[in-house]
Amino acid sequence: MPRKTGPRAPGMNRRSNSSRRRVAVTVLVLFAVVAVFVVKLVDIQVVRADALTADSVGNRSVGQTVYAARGDILDANGVLLAGSVMRYDVTASPKNAKSFYRTVEGEKTSISVGQAAAELGAVTGQTGPDIEAMLDAALADNPDSDFVYLTRAVDVDALRAINDLDIPWIYPRTNPSRVYPNGAVAGNLVGFVSSEGKAQAGLELGEDSCLASVDGTETYEKGADGVRIPGSSVTTTPAVDGGDVVTTIDSDLNWFVQQALAEQAQATGAAWGTVVVQEAKTGKLVAVADYPSVDPNNVSGTEDPENRGSRAFTASFEPGSTFKSLTAASVLDSGKATVNSGVVAPYRYLPANGANINDSHAHGDDKLTMTGVLIDSSNTGMSKFGELLSNKERYDYMKKFGVGAATETGFPAEDSGILRDPENWDSQTQYATMFGQGLTTTALQVSSIYQTIANGGVRMPVQLIEGCRQADGTLTDQPSATGSQVISASAAGDTSDVLEMVYQNSWVNKIWEIPGYRVAAKTGTAQMPDGNGGYSDGYLVSVSGFAPADDPEYVVSVSLADPVNMNTSAAPAPIFQKVMSQVLKKYRAVPSGAPAPDLPATW
Amino acid sequence: MSDNLARVRPSFTPSPSAAPTERRLEIVAPAAAHRKRPRITYALTATAGVAAIVIAQLLLSVGISQGAYEISTLRGEQVELGRTSESVSQDLVRLSSPQSLASNAESLGMVSNSNPVYLRLSDGAVLGAPSSALGSQGGAASLVPNSLLTDSAVLTQIDDASLGTADGGAATVAVTPTPAVPIKSGLPSPATR
Repeated sequence: MPRKTGPRAPGMNRRSNSSRRRVAVTVLVLFAVVAVFVVKLVDIQVVRADALTADSVGNRSVGQTVYAARGDILDANGVLLAGSVMRYDVTASPKNAKSFYRTVEGEKTSISVGQAAAELGAVTGQTGPDIEAMLDAALADNPDSDFVYLTRAVDVDALRAINDLDIPWIYPRTNPSRVYPNGAVAGNLVGFVSSEGKAQAGLELGEDSCLASVDGTETYEKGADGVRIPGSSVTTTPAVDGGDVVTTIDSDLNWFVQQALAEQAQATGAAWGTVVVQEAKTGKLVAVADYPSVDPNNVSGTEDPENRGSRAFTASFEPGSTFKSLTAASVLDSGKATVNSGVVAPYRYLPANGANINDSHAHGDDKLTMTGVLIDSSNTGMSKFGELLSNKERYDYMKKFGVGAATETGFPAEDSGILRDPENWDSQTQYATMFGQGLTTTALQVSSIYQTIANGGVRMPVQLIEGCRQADGTLTDQPSATGSQVISASAAGDTSDVLEMVYQNSWVNKIWEIPGYRVAAKTGTAQMPDGNGGYSDGYLVSVSGFAPADDPEYVVSVSLADPVNMNTSAAPAPIFQKVMSQVLKKYRAVPSGAPAPDLPATW
Repeated sequence: MSDNLARVRPSFTPSPSAAPTERRLEIVAPAAAHRKRPRITYALTATAGVAAIVIAQLLLSVGISQGAYEISTLRGEQVELGRTSESVSQDLVRLSSPQSLASNAESLGMVSNSNPVYLRLSDGAVLGAPSSALGSQGGAASLVPNSLLTDSAVLTQIDDASLGTADGGAATVAVTPTPAVPIKSGLPSPATR
């Protein structure tokens, strides 16, 4: 609304002028001040807005790691072989390690560093002076040292006891760790991780892609007193748990097998030994025992690193006479001979190609059938059957039986064994390969050969893993279960009959007898390489077989390396007997009562 | 819309000058009266509203911060209980390990007979060759190490003092071990009446 301006009084002009100046100055000053504020405001609200917001959030917010659990390793029945647990590392700030006051029942007492160290040591299993020495050593390195590990991976009970001590310069930290509740049961298979959680061996390493987890991060804002402000949690990276590896192993059986193996291995003074138990119809491994075994909870307790892996997978050796079953099965499949075909087996056989074959003990010229050759485990007799096939034919059979190639288990560092091309076989090797020398196999490959014979000539892929079980319960990465026909069913049946005769008539038949059952088995005694191209004095003794022979369910393959107190196949035979009995009992394999075959050994 | 229908025109057309004159008379006084009364009501309503909002805000933040402390306490409790549960279930799987079961079974005098024999119920036939247990595993020290078991005694030797290690807040469950079965004439048998 326009204001009425009255007529100005004369003489007021000067005052009005100075007042206008003052107003102008004031307005200018005001503008200047406002301008300063505006500039500052724009600077804060626009120019540096992001940085300042981040700073303010940073002051209030706390980031923390959300630990994701590494997957479990389970046996076929869901028993935990390896699991994730939270352990705690005890750290200290050496520069702050001073005496402190503790209030006990309203009374303040001074606790010296020595006292505190002794109390702590009583919980962690160290001594007070040990802990003090660690603090002193850290201070000697760096007088301002603010961090030293006192002990690592203590459990919850110890952590609580340590927290109760209320020592101000102790800082426990979380350390996600692995625990193996069954100790050394299947320990060589399961493997272990390093103290930093890196997979080192066994399934932990081989199945790391399934087991591995991804830790997440989360931030939240906290008030001045450290209390989390509700609704301020922000998950910046979600934690992803690892999948569970489900194995085909039965942990109870594996324990029994390991116990039986260790007992006999110690009694015979063996350097090492393995037992493989495989399902004949599916190729699944139900037990794989190694001696010496490793307890993944205490890896350093197994001194020799060689003993920390699974030799059943990683050690190849010349199999010896257990391999004769393969040669016999190949010859039977080709139709070049039958179980009753006869040869004359001399003590020493000198074939035309210049090889020199002899048997383990002196004997005259025996008129043996194929059955008899295997019962006596005659190298010369076997040579005469083996030469019915060309080297290439035998090589092809061996390849089909899985010799010379790592099995399908995907176990880390699995050995493929050595099987040279037949063109590279010298005259002696051409014959030696008929009875399991001049080539090497792993215990697993031997087991697979017997599985093929037991399963009507169909070799199933060797299976250790059922698959990787995801969080939603689906099983991924399931291995193939498609078998391949290696030999005809009738050839497999004939070989099985021969092996049953071997079981009944072998010189160890009293040792490995399982009353009431029909069993097919074969022993082997092979010279061991000395590492310099020759043979050492030691023998690798083994027994492989399956039962019930009329409807084979399980294959058991036992190997003992260099049992100094008893270097014959009488050493592994009791293990075979015990393990096979246990397997048949455990899985309720009822004997059929059908009569065993009776094949002539001589002609 | 256009049509060609005949229509009766209204006989009376109000005079356009009549209404404005009447309204002009009413405007000033009642409008002023109307405006005066709402001023107080509105002010009161607004003030009351602001007060209510302030109070509600206060109560809410009090409530929320109260909740925050409660959540914080419960979270701490949850972590502790989670640790207890983890530790107890670890004990359980440790004690369920074959080594632990075997040594407990042996301490109870059990032996394993791995000689399998079956009784077929349909005709009473005995399948297999029965023989007595040799107890070959009996007495043999476990050759399959488990470092988790080094400090745990056989269950029958555990007294209840080492058991009730439940969390402070929870009620301690007293576990009384079953007394060892008295051995009479060679075989352990419970005294039944």
